[in-house]
Amino acid sequence: MHSKWRLIQSGTSYTLKGVVLLIFIFPFLWMIMTALKTFPETMVFPPRLLPAMPQWSNFVTAMQSGPFVTYTINSVIVTVSIIILQMVIMIPAAYAFAKYKFKGQPLLFALVLLAFMIPGQVTFIPVYLMLADWGIIHTLLPQILPFAANAFGIFLLRQYFMQVPTEIIESARLDNASEFKIMLKIMVPMSVPALATIGLFSFVSHWNDYFWPLVMTDSMNVRPLTIGIAMLRETEGISNWNIIMAGNVVLVLPILLAYLFSSKQIVKAFVYSGIK
Amino acid sequence: MASIEFKKVTKSFGDSTVIEDLDLMIEDGKFTVLVGPSGCGKTTLLRMIAGLDPQTSGAVLIDGKDVSHTAPGQRGVALVFQNYAIYPTMSVRENIEFGLKNNKVSKEERKELVESISATVGLSDYLDRKPSTLSGGQRQRVALARAMVKKPAVFLMDEPLSNLDAKLRVHMRIELIELHKKLGSTFVYVTHDQVEAMSMADTIVLMNKGEIQQEASPDTIYREPNNLFTAQFVGVPPMNTAPLGKDGASFGFRPESAALTRSATDAWFQYKGVIMTREMLGSETIYHVKGDRYTFMIKCYEDLFAVDEPVYVGVPADKLFFFGADEKRIAKNAPGYQAYLDWLRRQVDE
Amino acid sequence: MNRRKIWETLRPYVMILPAMLAILCFVIYPVFYLLKLSFYKYNLLNKAKSKFVGVDNYEQLFAKDEFYTALTNTVWYTIATVSLTMLIALLLALWINQKKGKKINALLQAGIFTPHIISIVSIALVWMLLMDPNHGILNFLLKLVGLPPSKWLQSSSTSMMSVILVSIWHGVGYYALIILAALKSVPPTIYEAAALDNASRFKTFYKITLPMISPQLFFILIIMTIGSFKVFDTVRIMTGGGPNNSTSTLVYHIYEYRSNNLGYASATGIVLMVIIAILTFVYFRMLSKKIHYQ
Repeated sequence: MHSKWRLIQSGTSYTLKGVVLLIFIFPFLWMIMTALKTFPETMVFPPRLLPAMPQWSNFVTAMQSGPFVTYTINSVIVTVSIIILQMVIMIPAAYAFAKYKFKGQPLLFALVLLAFMIPGQVTFIPVYLMLADWGIIHTLLPQILPFAANAFGIFLLRQYFMQVPTEIIESARLDNASEFKIMLKIMVPMSVPALATIGLFSFVSHWNDYFWPLVMTDSMNVRPLTIGIAMLRETEGISNWNIIMAGNVVLVLPILLAYLFSSKQIVKAFVYSGIK
Repeated sequence: MASIEFKKVTKSFGDSTVIEDLDLMIEDGKFTVLVGPSGCGKTTLLRMIAGLDPQTSGAVLIDGKDVSHTAPGQRGVALVFQNYAIYPTMSVRENIEFGLKNNKVSKEERKELVESISATVGLSDYLDRKPSTLSGGQRQRVALARAMVKKPAVFLMDEPLSNLDAKLRVHMRIELIELHKKLGSTFVYVTHDQVEAMSMADTIVLMNKGEIQQEASPDTIYREPNNLFTAQFVGVPPMNTAPLGKDGASFGFRPESAALTRSATDAWFQYKGVIMTREMLGSETIYHVKGDRYTFMIKCYEDLFAVDEPVYVGVPADKLFFFGADEKRIAKNAPGYQAYLDWLRRQVDE
Repeated sequence: MNRRKIWETLRPYVMILPAMLAILCFVIYPVFYLLKLSFYKYNLLNKAKSKFVGVDNYEQLFAKDEFYTALTNTVWYTIATVSLTMLIALLLALWINQKKGKKINALLQAGIFTPHIISIVSIALVWMLLMDPNHGILNFLLKLVGLPPSKWLQSSSTSMMSVILVSIWHGVGYYALIILAALKSVPPTIYEAAALDNASRFKTFYKITLPMISPQLFFILIIMTIGSFKVFDTVRIMTGGGPNNSTSTLVYHIYEYRSNNLGYASATGIVLMVIIAILTFVYFRMLSKKIHYQ
């Protein structure tokens, strides 16, 4: 009797967990299925999950409805440049904040933390005017330069650097290594997990970013994928859901695939940075 | 090969001065041990030699040259840290090679040096391993090899054996003594363990509160301690000391200088007490003898007494030490020495 | 000789210089610039024609119904999103933290986190499809269980609720996993001690679990509140602030006025920044005393 009750209990628990899982997975499934349907199929009520015939041509239609090659290239250039720039700027700063004593250090570090708190959603107006003054508003730079200093990354990496025993650095100094070499050959290799976390974080947030390119760009040739996909609704008409979803799949796919293969590391990275 | 000299050296961290106006000469080619309780400034001295925390004022000379403005990597010194400070992302070979590469040593020469040094310390089979796969003793050897390969004029070691287990520590002590003989370079070794200091040093520099208490051979430190602090720091168990009851002076004797007897003898200093505890250590036994006025630790090589047994502690006159109110030892030929000796004798007779 | 000393003193400053320059240039300076702009009637086409108008923009702002609508919407959005997300995240975390069903728990963790790494653009678009009043799957499900269909995003009475629903779905997995990590870091010996002290399950949760994970809950509270006050993407894509301004938020308000009344938009930005600063400050003051830190 007792064991039967247990069986029912664990069975319900399993089913319930399955339902919750479905709530989070189904929208993505639906997105993919819709992307493969014909237009009439999207209008059927009650809706049907599977298309009669997968319409691969939807992807072609979506990609041809705008300069999507340009959008994709822009997205890649912007995201990659941001990550490289951030690393170059962040590593020496984090090293200095973690391992040197200098006058004004607490104040300067407080400034970094303050920067972390000020939202881009309000500073975009002056930043736009400033970049327009510099004459670079029609390039990709407005989407890259403002993110050069990753305050959160500096904070996280500094925490990590502080855990490296000072004796290791002193050892290297006695081995006649320059500070630059210490940073590159000792600190960086020892901080690969932290750097990977920060890089991943940066990649996801800038690949997905919608607000900043929206307010910084005026012309097609500098816009990234997110804007392009969001604009499909305007170019394709509000109800051409199969085409819109096809575009959407293109935007989501790289990240979804990366996630499928390394979900554990990605989750860990995000949760870790959330706790610290 | 190089001597090291401190001239009027002062070191402060912020507002607190750790070392003030210190003068010290460390001889070329000697094994010098800086010893003292924690916070005495011994590590600070070592780090000043290395240039990691340069002195606030005064000068540090290596081989007669003022190195106050020389970078750590260019002073010709190597330092073995307590936690070894091995580069965790580099293989054993890369660890040993790192300093050579930075000094632009050619590839062939590097290879030769790394191989000969690793053979010396017994690491030849581990050259391509990552440090995380090595045992504590092996890491210690990597740290040593990394220091040796640079052929430094001065070898600095900061408590290098304290992370090893007791057995390995004794073994490494002997290896370090042999290494010093073989290399013949100047060794400066920091430890808080007086046993380590006594067993390895040519010269011991005993420090307390930023000041040098005594600088002498282990033998001299043991037999002719400068002051009360030195007397109490060296020896296991340390010297028994007690106030003399005159002029604020004290007297003392080594635990092994006293004899325990069941009946009174004609020893110069005699004291009656009861055995409180007994620690049997194998070759020797340490008794804790308590009387009305004093408590003494007595070391005997025969285990003849039991707890609660009444005994006499007897010390011959030539084994007694006297220290003035300023805690300095009163030499045997100094005026007053005989007076104290007589005073002590009278005390006991009463 | 002394050049080495000088360089050593300067070195840390040189190393942080690029970062500090970028922060000064793109964060600190713009704040002051924004403050200045908020006192101007700015002419985008001809800068020379911009003129100082004092607190005009602020007066205009506090007299505008539209602003109050956006403010109220934002506040409601924040309260609902933060409280519901935290509650659901906590429940999910406690549920996943059970020992039974390791495989499905791992799958569930990966599943609920997925929306967090997907662009809000995609998520907004997918949910618009699901919420389509005529042939969306949500209305189909409502019909299936015998409930009346909803107009979702297309009615001013349900639009805000719909946006909130999407935000919760988007964020809850991430926060659940942070709480889960916190739960897992509570040493099991504490629970064993509580069990030996005959504490009830509720009491154990209330007296031990909750205080132990409160630093993380506090962190989530701050991050989410600030994040919610800045809500824009979902609104912009899904409703465009409508219908009838029912989903207009502060950032959307700023966005709308950014080109034709830049000074006014700047003033709104300053107000939003002040609100966020006050919230952060109040939270730290209020909760710093009540939180258990190891």
